Formats: sequence, C-alpha cells, structure tokens
Amino acid sequence: MDLTFYIAATIALFATIMVVINTNPVHALLYLVLSLLSVATVFFTLGAHFAAALEVIVYAGAIMVLFVFVVMMLNLGAKTEDQERRWLSAPAMVLPAALSAVLLWQLGTQLWPRGYITAAGLQEVTPKMVGIALYGPYLLAVELASMLLLAGLVAAYHLGRHDD
Amino acid sequence: MFSWITPDLIAIVWGMVKAIIILLGMVLTAAYMIWLERRLLALWQDRYGPNRVGPLGLGQVIADMIKIFFKEDWMPPFADKFTFVLAPFLAMSLMMLAFVFIPMTPNWGVSNTNMALLFFLAIAGLAVYAVMLGGWASNSKYSLLGGLRSTAQTISYEVFMGLALMGVVIQAGSFNLRDIVAAQDGLWNVFPQILGFIAWVPAALAVVHRTPFDLPEAESELVQGYHTEYSGMKFGMFMVSEYVGIVMVSGLTVTLFFGGWDAPLWFDRIPGIGAFLGEQIPFVWFAAKTFIFMAGYILVRAALPRPRYDQIMSAAWLWCLPIALINLLITGAVVLWRAGA
Amino acid sequence: MADGTPSTVPEIVRELNARFGDAAFTLQRTADGMPTLWVAVERLQEVLRWLKNEAPKPYKMLYDLTAIDERLRKNRLGQPAADFSVVYQLLSVERDLAAPRTAAGDLRLKVALQGGTTDNFPHLPSVTSIYPNANWYEREVWDLFGIVFDGHPNLRRILLPPSWKGGHPLRKEHAARATEFDPYQLTALRQDMEQEALRFNPEEWGMKRGTEEHDFMFLNLGPNHPAAHGAFRVVLQLDGEEIVDCVPDIGYHHRGAEKMGERQSWHSYIPYTDRIDYLGGVMNNLPYVMALEKLAGIQVPERVQCIRVMMTEFFRITSHLLFYGTMAQDVGAMSPVFYMFVDRQKAYDVIEAITGFRMHPAWFRIGGVAHDLPKGWEQKVQEFLDWMPKRLDGYRKACLENSIVKARCVDVAAYNTAEALEWGVTGPGLRATGCDYDLRKVRPYCGYENYDFEVPLGHKGDIYDRIVVREEEIRQSLRIIEQCMKNMPSGPYKADHALTTPPPKDRTLNDIETLITHFLQVSWGPIMPAGETSFMVEATKGINSYYLVADGGTASYRTRIRTPSFAHLQQIPSVIRGQMVPDLIAYIASIDFVMADVDR
Repeated sequence: MDLTFYIAATIALFATIMVVINTNPVHALLYLVLSLLSVATVFFTLGAHFAAALEVIVYAGAIMVLFVFVVMMLNLGAKTEDQERRWLSAPAMVLPAALSAVLLWQLGTQLWPRGYITAAGLQEVTPKMVGIALYGPYLLAVELASMLLLAGLVAAYHLGRHDD
Repeated sequence: MFSWITPDLIAIVWGMVKAIIILLGMVLTAAYMIWLERRLLALWQDRYGPNRVGPLGLGQVIADMIKIFFKEDWMPPFADKFTFVLAPFLAMSLMMLAFVFIPMTPNWGVSNTNMALLFFLAIAGLAVYAVMLGGWASNSKYSLLGGLRSTAQTISYEVFMGLALMGVVIQAGSFNLRDIVAAQDGLWNVFPQILGFIAWVPAALAVVHRTPFDLPEAESELVQGYHTEYSGMKFGMFMVSEYVGIVMVSGLTVTLFFGGWDAPLWFDRIPGIGAFLGEQIPFVWFAAKTFIFMAGYILVRAALPRPRYDQIMSAAWLWCLPIALINLLITGAVVLWRAGA
Repeated sequence: MADGTPSTVPEIVRELNARFGDAAFTLQRTADGMPTLWVAVERLQEVLRWLKNEAPKPYKMLYDLTAIDERLRKNRLGQPAADFSVVYQLLSVERDLAAPRTAAGDLRLKVALQGGTTDNFPHLPSVTSIYPNANWYEREVWDLFGIVFDGHPNLRRILLPPSWKGGHPLRKEHAARATEFDPYQLTALRQDMEQEALRFNPEEWGMKRGTEEHDFMFLNLGPNHPAAHGAFRVVLQLDGEEIVDCVPDIGYHHRGAEKMGERQSWHSYIPYTDRIDYLGGVMNNLPYVMALEKLAGIQVPERVQCIRVMMTEFFRITSHLLFYGTMAQDVGAMSPVFYMFVDRQKAYDVIEAITGFRMHPAWFRIGGVAHDLPKGWEQKVQEFLDWMPKRLDGYRKACLENSIVKARCVDVAAYNTAEALEWGVTGPGLRATGCDYDLRKVRPYCGYENYDFEVPLGHKGDIYDRIVVREEEIRQSLRIIEQCMKNMPSGPYKADHALTTPPPKDRTLNDIETLITHFLQVSWGPIMPAGETSFMVEATKGINSYYLVADGGTASYRTRIRTPSFAHLQQIPSVIRGQMVPDLIAYIASIDFVMADVDR
C-alpha cells in the first residue's frame, strides 16, 4: 500500500504540473482527470474507499466530462495553442511560482512542528460511517450545501432557458 | 527448498490464475458475442448470417480477427494523434475492468471488494471519455457530434443509473456484489426492486450504446458517429469493447436483480442434478441467465427503432429519474419500517 | 387523333384571351391536346402572376419548366420564330378535380427567345418570385441551355459540376457522344481542383457563418452518406443539432438522359427510361410509350392496357416496399427492410416470369408490350397475391404502430396542401396532405376507370402520413392486380398499326412491301410524325411525364423528362428549417426519391 501511495502521489504531482504547462486545452484537461484519478488512488490507500469512489464518479466521471465537453465544443485550434505557449513564458511563471512557494512554506510550517502528520490507513472509512457523519454532526452543512446546489440548479435553468 | 512457497503466495498465484481465466473467458465470450449477434439477428430477420467459415460459421470471428489485425493501422492526418490512440484503449480496458467486480460463483470472481458497485459506477462514468475523446480526436464533424451526443446521454443516464441501483444496495445493506447476491436468496431483487429494474434496463443499454440508445453511432444519421474515422485494430477495439460491455452489463444485471448464481425457481431442489449443479457448478446458472440477457440485447436491436436524441434525453429525465427516485423512497421506507418493527 | 387538337377552344384559353386580349397569345396545336400558348417575353410574368393568383380556379403548381433549342428544328408547324423557347407547364389541381377525366388542369406556355451564340445568351425574366419552385428549374435550364434568367436569386449550375467548362450540353451544337471528346482523365491536380470546387461557401448562398453569440456548424451530409439514398448532398447549417437552413446539392447522378434521347431511335430509347426511376421498372416506360402512341395515333388493344396496368402496379408495390423498409431503417429499425426485400424478391419472381427481367425489363413497346403473357402467369400472380397481405399486416404492427416510429414521424416535417402545390409536390407526398389528386382517378389512362380501387389520403402531411399513404397504396395495388388477373382480356399484345414497334411480323413473309417496311422500321426505327406530345402518369414517386418533340425523324428532337423527385428535393429546405438532424433523415427517407430520378 505504501508503494501504491507513493506511485499515485508522484503521478498526481506530475499530472498536475502538466495541467499547468500543457498548451493543448484538451490534453491539459486529460491530465487533470489523471490527477484526480491518482488522488482517488491516494484516498484509497489511506482507507477512504468511499471518498475514492466518489472522487472518480463525481469529479472525473461527471464534472470533468462537462469540462472536456465544453472545451471540445469551443473548437480551439492551433491558434489558441500558440497563444498559450506565449503566455507560458518563463517570466510569466515567476510570480505564480513565488506565490505557490509561499503557500507551500506556510502549509509546511503550520503542519510540521505541531505533529499533525499521523500515520495513514489506520482505519477503513466505510460508506456507513460517512453517512452517519454527514447526517449526524454535519447535517446543517449538508442542508446548506443542498440549498446552494438547488440555487445553482435554478440559476442554471434560468440562464439556459431560451427566451422565445 | 520450497520454503518460499507460503500459503499467501499460493493464494495470490491462484487468484491470478483465476483472473486470467476469467479475462480470457470474457474476451472470448465477447468475441463470440459478435458471432451470436450476427446469427441471431439473421435468424430473426429471415436470412442466414455468417455460416461459411467453420461449423455454423463459428470460424467467422477468427477470420474477422485475422483480417482486422492485418489491416493497415491508418490514422487520419488531421487527427489528434495521442488522444486518437488513447480512446479505443480506454474503451476496451474500462469495459474489461468493470468485469472485475462481478462474482460468477461463490468462489469465482476477480475481486471481492466492499465497494464493488461504486467502483462499477465510477468505471461507467469514466467510460464516456473513450467515446468523447474518440469523437474529438478524429477532428471530424460527424465524430464530434457523436461524441457530444454520447456525453450528454451518458451523463444523464448515469444520474439515475446510480439511483436505480441504490435500492438494491439498501436492501442488501452493502455495496459488495457477493452480499447482494446472498441477500437475494429466496427472492430475487427483480421482484421487490421492479421499479429499480425498470430504470436500470435503459441505463444499462445506454452505457453500452446499444439500440435504441445507439445515438452516438447512429449510422443513418452520423455515419458511424464517434468511430467514423477509425479503422483496423483501433476500430476493432471499439467494437469488441461494445460486446465486452454487453457481457459485463448482462452479468451485472443477473448479479443485481436475478440472484447471480442462484438457481431459478425450484431447480436446485430437483434431486441429483439440481443439487449437483447448485453446489458443484453454480456457474451454469450464472452463465445461462447472462446468456438470456445477452440475447435480449440482440433482440432489442432487431426489434426497436431509434428514438430521436431529444426524446431519449427527455425519457431519461422525465421517466427514468422519477422512477428511480420513487423506488429509492419506497425501498428506504420499507427498510426503515421493517427495522423499526 | 394524330394532331389531337380539341375541337373546341379550351376554357382557359378563352379566359386568358378575355383577360389579356387575343393578340397576347399564339395558340399552338400539339398532339397531346394540351392548351399550348405562346406568350411574349415581356408579358410572361404578368400572365403567370394572374394565372397563379387571380385566375378562377388558379394554376397553383408550376409543374415543369424547360427549354427547347429550336435552331435546327425543321418542322416548326407555324410557331413563332425562335432560337430557343422556354416552356412553362402549369397544373391546376382545382380545375382537374372540378372536371375530372378532361385534363382541364393543364396549361403550357411558351416563350420565344432569340440569340444563340455563347457570348450572347438569351435572356428572360425569372419567375421565382411567382413560383418559388422555378428556382431549380431555371438553374437547370441555365445549366443545360445557357439561357439567362434575370432576377434569379442564385443562377448557378445545378446538374453539372460548378467547375464544368464544356458549355451547355442540351444545345444542339454540343456533342452527344463521349467519342466526340478527348478521353476523360482525372489527374491528381484536377481531382484537387474538383474537390476544392465542391467546398461549400455559405456566403454564396446568402448564409451567415454565425450570429453574434455563436458560430454555426456547416455539416456536409453526402454525397456519400448512409441515409442520403444515393449520391445526394445536403449542406446543413446547424445550430447545435437544429437545422437553421440547408442547401440540397444534386447532379452527382446526372447521366444526360435527355440528351441521349436525341441520339437514340424512338424505340431504342425505351431501356434508358427504365433507368430514370430505377425502382420503377416498366412504370418509366409507360409515359414514354403512351406519349408516342398519342403522337402516332395508336390505339392499343385492351389486353395491352390491362397488362400494362398490372405490371406497373407490380412495380409500384416493389418501389413502395423498398421505401417502407428503408424508411424504417432510417428511423433505426433494422429488421423490416430484410422482410420487405424478401417480399420484393417474390414480386420480382413474378415480374421475371412475365418479362424476363427483374429490375429493368424495358418491356413496354410503342403500341404494345414485348411479349404476350406466358402460360401459367395467373398462378404466379395469385401466389404473390396470397403472400403479400398478411405480411403487410405484420409490418403494420411492427412499424406503423410502433410508438417509437410514431414519436419520430408524427408531426415531423409536415407541410400542407398549399405548400405542396407551391413546390410542385405530387404523388403520395401530395396525397398525404389530404389532397385527393391521383392521376389514375382524375385522368384515368390505360383503362384505370374500370378498376375498383381507392386513393388513400393522409391529413396532416407529416412523415407518418406519407408512410401510411404508401402502405395503403400497396394494398390498393394488390386489389388492382387481382382485378387485372381475373379480368384479363384476350386479344393481341400489340396494336395493329404501322408505327407499332417492332411491327407485327405475320404478313412480312407474304408480300415484299410489308417486309421492306418492317425491315426499315426494325433497323432504322420508326419515323414519328412531326409534332409535340406528352403524357403524365401517376408513377411510383409522383407524377412522371415525358414531353417529346418530334421533328419527323427516327429520333426525338427534344426529350424532356419531368420527374417527381426533382421537385420533391427542392422542397427540402422549406420543410426542414428549425427541425433536427434526425428529423431530416426521417424526412429524406419519407420523400422516397432516387437520385437517378432527380438528376436524369
């Protein structure tokens, strides 16, 4: 399991970097899918099987499909690739890289000395446990999220409606 | 000298051997599914079908395979090379991967995981990429339209496919397919879960793009839809993946709704042969039931016309989704009521 | 009679003279008895507009529009001087229905044009603003004759490729045989050029590439497409899967059948007619030989009429069965077409037993048919009559009553009677709108008035009605065939007339004069009297007619084939706008066309 974790984590890192630096939008999105899949594997190795499955079903299987769908419809050609390539020049990378470094450092200093890092995969999280947690202590959050989603649904319907 | 042979190792090797046997069996079944489809369609359509190569035309599959292997592996110059190659591989491997979770007998089956059904849904969700990428990478308008149709169709049908199956999960109290089969001992799920089954059938057809849900490749409209530009082995993989899909989905239907390896009716109570089959080779029942569904897929193709794309979509949202939700509601209520009582 | 002129002046001629004055028109006598008037080019639009909109029982349909190259014609029979004439044939369904069996709905107008050299094209005003379906006809006349229609929205070649450099083929100076040209060569360069010439350019058709919000997708459907029913191309302007507009493009199946008519003898042209509507078989021979019989004044024996009716109805059945099966296939039903092909083979077995051929028998002759019926033909026909009805009942269950078929076809691609007439739609496509117009009833020919059959009608004019009408027509055809079989008159299978081809041979061995005539007629072909003739029949796909100009020779001076499918394809954009791609596929299937019938 350890080995799987490290392989999956490496792929996730690699794929995520490729998402940023790839100039072809569809290829970049495919790397993003790959990244999500490897993160799902990471979840799996940590014992969160349910989260892993949901990650694949919801993110890779539904949300990213819509992303790719839209990008496919946009019919972006070689012109966009050139534009991407110009935008991805080294000087343009400096600031975001610096910002990311700061974030990483902040995360590290916050987590490391306080000993939040614990051994993973100690316990398998079953769907039942997830369900009980969601509809127990986190019920309010679930309800809020569902209201938000409903609002999103109504708004999307309104925007997508043809006015004729 | 053989001290490195531990029981663990033997178990692992035996598991691998089993997996390989199942893989080969499934691919062969899928390949012969092509023959079966052509013969059955011919039977229902007043003609012969392939009957020249080998006895009953059984060699036709081999001949076709040889042909398709040796065909020029042509790639359209305007295609997006990487994705174009990736798509058929995805199609084939995902459909085969989904087979991993299906238990064929109490002891046979590649994987026995508690998340089996969820993983199946995950794989069904990923399978759409094959069609989508195939459609996009071909860089042809017909392919693109096929890819778009497929995406919209699959996403819509996935929504209630998951919901339709949740009734089964609630009843068995587990995502594990073996538990689900075990829970059907006595009464198959198709009876209590009839609404779930009604919603599942179109969704299953939609997953493998079979008539009347073959809109992504509707040949009278989109030529060949997403695989218009494919030929040779890459096309072959798309085609075989469809048949692997049929085998897989038929197997899953049997597992979820028709008691898996459980003998139908009172067959296992027949002295001698019934008991022998039930205890020694229950695979027979699984195979027989799966075969009926596979033939059912072919019959549907022979019998039904193809609705329009928007009619398919509205059927999904206006009929199947409410049915699946009602089923979920009723199942949940009954389970809670029983638990309370 | 040979000149066929009616003894009284037709009603419409009196009306026209009353409205525009006697001087406006010159009446021409034709062998088919159709009122034929020459009108000055300046008054053409005015007259047509009156005929379509203001005349009592108006002429709503422009049935045909064509031209004749008059420059080499010897026997003009007192017609106004002209280098070219453009012919407008109008049809008034109202007049026909008001006075059945008199062909009162026909009217032919001709316009004389001068000037024939290629740098001096004849001009006349376009009538597309009056009759929208004049659009394709005028393009065809421009394409084949080089006559310019001023004010035409898009006067470009239609049957020949846009890159065509060979001039206008139906002009008399254009060669009629391939041997008169250099051998055709398709080099890689030329292939690229031809392909480039076919690239669709939306601006040429007044289409936009997109709106401010989004781009349209232009989808090239055909000329090779599983649902295009032949080499037919439609370019679709799509918004998603919705068709904003479309441009049908024809001509990929053009073989110059009309030009061939000018170099084949009257007799040897019969096999060419078979291949116009290649599913119609002898149905195609019928209008051709009937037109010639009118010209020659041949009265065919009753047996011939009955045989002709029987055989054409057989071909109506095979053609409709093919339509039925492919229609089902185009909405995704895979199986029916296989069953129907079995039925078609059964029908072809009968046809083969009688004619010796299956699809293209070329079996009708001027003044008769090729052979008498073989011994035992009744049994074969009876077998088919026993076989077919129960199969049709099965198809009704499997196709017509299938809810998915209904969902695909009901209220899809509908048009009403007025639109149908506007676009020159005839046949089942017209009757599906509820218009009770079947030539077999309205103008019975071949003794159709003696048969007991009904004309099935629809009421919505949608795809479903078109299927139902054709399905019912198969049953009616079976009834007609049964009546033919039971009441087949005895008698000769050829008319006893000098121009019957090949002529009866009985007396040739008795006297030398008959032998010489027979020999000449068989080797050179018959010489038809000079004149103009035409005949319309209710063919499988609509009204098919031949308009023949004879100049006193062994070959036609001008052969005009008016086919129903040409008009039906032109209608496509007006019907399908705003609907979806699968609707278009179902609609195309419901038109029931073959490209050979469109392109000729």
